[in-house]
Amino acid sequence: MRNLVPDFPRAALTAFYWAFLFYLLLPLTLMMALSFKDANFVSFPIGNLTLDWYAKVIQDKQFLEACLYSIGIAAASTLAATIIGTWIAMLIVAEGIRWQVVIFALAVLPAVVPGMISAISLRIFISTIDMPTGTGAIILGHTVHSVPFVVVMALTRLRSMPKNMVDAARDLGADNIVAFLRVTLPYLAPALFGGMMFCVLLSIDDFVRTFFLGGYRATLPMLIFAKVQGGMSPEINAMATLVLVVTTSFGLYAEFITRRARTR
Amino acid sequence: MVETATRSDLNTTQDREMPRYSTLIAKMANSFLYRHTLGAAVETRMGRVALLAGLPLIWIVALNLGPIYQMLKISFLSNYPVMPGDKSEFTLENYIVFFQEPIFFLPLIRSFVFATATTMVTLIVVYPVAYYVAKVVRPSGRPRALLLLLVPFWAGEIIRTFSVIMLLSNRGAINVLLRDIGLIDRPIPMLYTPFSLGFGLIYLICLYMLLPLYSAIEKIPSSLLDASADLGAGPLTRFRRIILPLSKDGIVSGCALVFLTCIGVFATLMLLGGPNTVLFPETISSFFHGASNKWPVGAAFAMIMLTTALIAAGLFVRLVGGKKGSTF
Repeated sequence: MRNLVPDFPRAALTAFYWAFLFYLLLPLTLMMALSFKDANFVSFPIGNLTLDWYAKVIQDKQFLEACLYSIGIAAASTLAATIIGTWIAMLIVAEGIRWQVVIFALAVLPAVVPGMISAISLRIFISTIDMPTGTGAIILGHTVHSVPFVVVMALTRLRSMPKNMVDAARDLGADNIVAFLRVTLPYLAPALFGGMMFCVLLSIDDFVRTFFLGGYRATLPMLIFAKVQGGMSPEINAMATLVLVVTTSFGLYAEFITRRARTR
Repeated sequence: MVETATRSDLNTTQDREMPRYSTLIAKMANSFLYRHTLGAAVETRMGRVALLAGLPLIWIVALNLGPIYQMLKISFLSNYPVMPGDKSEFTLENYIVFFQEPIFFLPLIRSFVFATATTMVTLIVVYPVAYYVAKVVRPSGRPRALLLLLVPFWAGEIIRTFSVIMLLSNRGAINVLLRDIGLIDRPIPMLYTPFSLGFGLIYLICLYMLLPLYSAIEKIPSSLLDASADLGAGPLTRFRRIILPLSKDGIVSGCALVFLTCIGVFATLMLLGGPNTVLFPETISSFFHGASNKWPVGAAFAMIMLTTALIAAGLFVRLVGGKKGSTF
């Protein structure tokens, strides 16, 4: 087969791939490089190197608080989204349920509604139910946004599940809840794990919902956004680099785990 | 009794963890409380349906449809939030005002032009990359080739937008490079222009295009390409007659996804946009910050944007995709 593909398109495609990868990684690399710059302003050339900005960021109380706040929100919204998303997926695959297509379409609606609209409609919604802006509202908003992704991942896995596994458990005397907890849930685990990791990243990354639903406490993206609008300093680069390294390792780890689970 | 059944069916790797989890569930299932509440409920048809459908349906109706319904309702009110002593009446004024002022409808048009252009450029740029990973790379190397492209995806919206500033600002990499090799004397102002916004948007969303395209192209059997090559089709003919039609699903869902994401981008717009690039999200946002009695106008504008964006994406999927074959 290889001989049939002429060499020119092949070489051109390879070059294009690497050029595209270079384009993807260049801005992030520049950002990281500038975090080591020993001067107060962000510009090239870099000149002397220093780690002072990192020392400053690590001692920055605002930054640490934003980190903890973001992690807390991500944990809460991921937990809620996983439970609700799995539940919805179970409903969609259940026998004798009509309107499955409609339920699915409505369940994944928040994933296709543009972020800005979703944020504004949630802002209006919490005000009509007299819920204050702040932590609770942010968690609710992130959960609404995350649920569709859990639904899709759980559904994909559920559809590949042999039906006789649950039937066997039922024959042996397990009721539906026990069969779910002991057969379906362990089978779903790898997909749910991947889904949870994705939800954590979605929540930590989210800006627009947090911007409209949040109170005075800043999450990580809000803090970085405010600092970027306030003026450039290598301190922001150091902060962004730290966040980038942590979220990327997290993403790589999640990818590694789900891939290992899939190949087994 | 139940324990042996499930264990033999499941992954052997989980055996070590299973017993404790199983005992816990067996204990729960045999407890008095469980047998007289949930356990009794699942034995009846009504109980099963309620347990299975209750929470999902409530969630979908209350939180997926509720906010949009409330937004629609408020968009027809004369004022909201209603202050004590004030009255709020039904009105169409919030929608009418949109068509009367160019500063209101121009940003929407600009948003659509921007999102469409960005979607098209993204498709053209990403298609060869997706094709390369799906068809040129050996199957064993594909995960790694894909993973490399996913790395920036984990950086997040704000950080990626910020990194684009490092590249494009007046003292950013491009301007410094051009000055050092003597091509320019003073920096080219690239930031806060339509160019920087478009560049940033493509940088932000190209991976939403990559994944649908990749999975569509990967499904095309290589034997089809071999057969057509045997029959004398050149690379261009093969692309036009086989690869393009067979990857249509991926193109359609990728474009719809990118378009809808682009329309709703807010942070990138605030950081990379300038006075010449006021897009609709910025217009809508102005009604919610500051003067809070303009909420109904903001809600009406958001409804206008939501319906036009969904209709545009839906029409595109229907016209180009033909049948309903997208991933959504």
